[in-house]
Amino acid sequence: MLDTLASLSGGFETVLTFHNIVLIFLAGIIGTVIGALPGLGPSAGIALMLPLTFGMPHASGLCLLTGVYMGTMYGGRITSILINTPGDAPAIITALEGYPMMRQGKGGLALGISAISSFVGGFFGLAVLVFFAPIVAEYAIFLGPPEYFMLMLVGLSTIVLLAGDDVFKALIVTCFGFLVSTFGSDYISGHIRFAFVPELIEGIDFVAIIIGLYGLGEVFYNLERKIVLNLGKPNFRFSDYIPGKEDLKQASGPTVRGSVLGTFIGILPGAGATIATFLAYALERKLSKNPENFGKGAIAGLASPEASNNAAVPGSLIPLITLGIPGSGGTAIMLGALIMFGLQPGPLLMIQSGDVVWAMIAGLILANFFLLASNVLLIPLFVNMLRLVQKHLPSIVVGLCIVGAFSLNYGTFNIWIALIFGVIGYLMRKNDYPTGPFILAVVLAPLAENYFRQSIMLAQGSWSIFINRPVSLTLVVFMVLVVCASIISKQLLRRRRVGTE
Amino acid sequence: MTFVKLMKGALAGAVALSFAGVAQADDFPSRGIEFVAGYGPGGGHDTMLRAMAKIIQNNELSSVPINVVNKPGGSSAVALGYLNSHKGDGHFLMSATSSFLTTPLTSNIGLDYTNFTPIARLGIDPELLVVNASGSYKTLDDIAKADKVLNVGGSGTGSIENIVTIKLAEALGKKLNYIPFQGDGEVTAALLSNQIDFAITNTGPVGDFIKTGRFSALAISTEKRVDLFPDVPTFIEQGYNINLSLFRGVVAAGDIGDEEKAYLLKMVKDMSETKEWQENYIQPNSVVPDFLGPDEFAEYLKGMNDVYKTSLTNLGIIK
Repeated sequence: MLDTLASLSGGFETVLTFHNIVLIFLAGIIGTVIGALPGLGPSAGIALMLPLTFGMPHASGLCLLTGVYMGTMYGGRITSILINTPGDAPAIITALEGYPMMRQGKGGLALGISAISSFVGGFFGLAVLVFFAPIVAEYAIFLGPPEYFMLMLVGLSTIVLLAGDDVFKALIVTCFGFLVSTFGSDYISGHIRFAFVPELIEGIDFVAIIIGLYGLGEVFYNLERKIVLNLGKPNFRFSDYIPGKEDLKQASGPTVRGSVLGTFIGILPGAGATIATFLAYALERKLSKNPENFGKGAIAGLASPEASNNAAVPGSLIPLITLGIPGSGGTAIMLGALIMFGLQPGPLLMIQSGDVVWAMIAGLILANFFLLASNVLLIPLFVNMLRLVQKHLPSIVVGLCIVGAFSLNYGTFNIWIALIFGVIGYLMRKNDYPTGPFILAVVLAPLAENYFRQSIMLAQGSWSIFINRPVSLTLVVFMVLVVCASIISKQLLRRRRVGTE
Repeated sequence: MTFVKLMKGALAGAVALSFAGVAQADDFPSRGIEFVAGYGPGGGHDTMLRAMAKIIQNNELSSVPINVVNKPGGSSAVALGYLNSHKGDGHFLMSATSSFLTTPLTSNIGLDYTNFTPIARLGIDPELLVVNASGSYKTLDDIAKADKVLNVGGSGTGSIENIVTIKLAEALGKKLNYIPFQGDGEVTAALLSNQIDFAITNTGPVGDFIKTGRFSALAISTEKRVDLFPDVPTFIEQGYNINLSLFRGVVAAGDIGDEEKAYLLKMVKDMSETKEWQENYIQPNSVVPDFLGPDEFAEYLKGMNDVYKTSLTNLGIIK
């Protein structure tokens, strides 16, 4: 406990320089704007910022990325509340209650409450991260390849469970992700796969993939249907944002529940902020004494999801930092960033590069304070920035993408890769193929493959290694239970549906 | 702000590229010397070249400015191709480590080490045989007498760690089960948690664990004991003929003139004899300084290439 606080204060020492404070503040603002723009979400935000971090010290670079990530969670709610257009997926639920409040003339209150809930959620998640991550890291060191393989399987199987409407499409993109991840040299066999040109010996650059998929792909998609946000001239007085005693009382319970739920959903691999908001909303509706108010501007339905999506960010960083397992598209990209910085994600990260990790956590705490302040005080600024940026959005994004792809290897090769994945991203968006499972597969598949082969090699050819070790066995049992539960619940649902018809 | 910096960098790169095409003058060097790193900024190649460039400039060992240029991609295949495109031009110096030999061997890039001019080997990274101090193997003898097939951790298949393990298995006359891990961190973690019986690894990642007594090193792969680990006996003095290390050196483009070669050699040799080089590069990176000039380095490369070729063929990586 004391060690943790000492490490954390060490992190603050690194972060509290003029340069870093300005950087974190800007990261929050950029993240908020990206989150507010429909079409650009957390993954796109991190992807676009990634190339900018190349020349920076690692701690500053990570602060920038996590600051943007956190910022998008705040930003999505602005357009949700003001004009009923969610800026990104985790803000979809926010619009359900936020926009009705806006129409009732309580827009300022909705923005104020959601900002506070976001802050509390983020803060709770961070507290869990601060105290939980070192403990997990301490035990994570005793996990070996078999346990990691099982964890990767859990991660990959949750993709399918949480795929949304069309499991089949999610499976297709997962397989496609597997295929993409096989390019390049395979350190276990020493062979090189599919290196048609020398640039492919090290595989397809992950950053080029995400720049294409989330940056260029979104631009291509949005070119077809020009969305113009009619933002009007929202005019709030400062006092509008300050919730009254009664409002706070209504919001406090849901905010706490949303924070707890969001943090733990965030920790689960495969699930993320978006799922946390849906679950938080459903939970509040169930608990509420007047569920008929939901959809008409219920404060509980606004506060809880907002708290949960912000809590999910630090939550999803726990498995990333301690085990090297990304829990969502955004953290998958963060994993790519860690590898790019030369930091080895995994159980030794906290031991070998603890200073950088703690600086990143300190930066996130700082970012959360900045974001609360800016999201209450700077709403007019954001609205104006949105109005300005959206006119030139495609050109800005394309510019960032090309420079970003170029800077990966100082050559044109990755620009082509980004372009190819831009087209793929466009096709996926247009035909409703989810990109999340694809990105997770690109990141998780090679890990799963290598951990599997290492396990079998460690056991000198025997499969029993997966059930002889207690942690591995627990994970096997857990997975079997999850699969059974999902099959049974689907059967029950079908039977009930048949029954009611 | 950073964006501007990035653009400036891109422009500078473009300018440097256009200069590179200018025809050579008679006096060498007629323009700045370019240090080519086959990996990105912050990687081992990049760090070494930047340290060299700084020391050369601080001590005025070169009459012209030096620029470090990153040509990452394809495990240095891109840099090899780049350097080869400047055949006969001495204004380029590239860092060379094991990938300088293994990338041409394992992939079809149409080049090998003979297409370049070796200038100098600056040092070596020895390999250590490391066990968890709490385990049951205290000496190399214990390992030789173990009555089961031992699991050995190291980096990727075909790496120097893999080859040392193969040589050790031959010398011990016993089967060893080599498990490749990605990166030194994973090997260290696997040894800490007793997933493997011992590890073959270079010194950097395990140095701290050895100092704190969690790991103990049973043998080192150099000819003689090194100053960094004076108590660790060599394989050779324990009766196993293993003398294999990673190398760090520099090479120039192929077919360069004798005058150009001599200039580069003098620059690099003078640099390697400075105190700054010892303090700012050799010591922090746990490198064992072991300088070889062009002819000896060429001889060494030939020998290492044969070792890699034989081992990679036996492993089935090269057909």
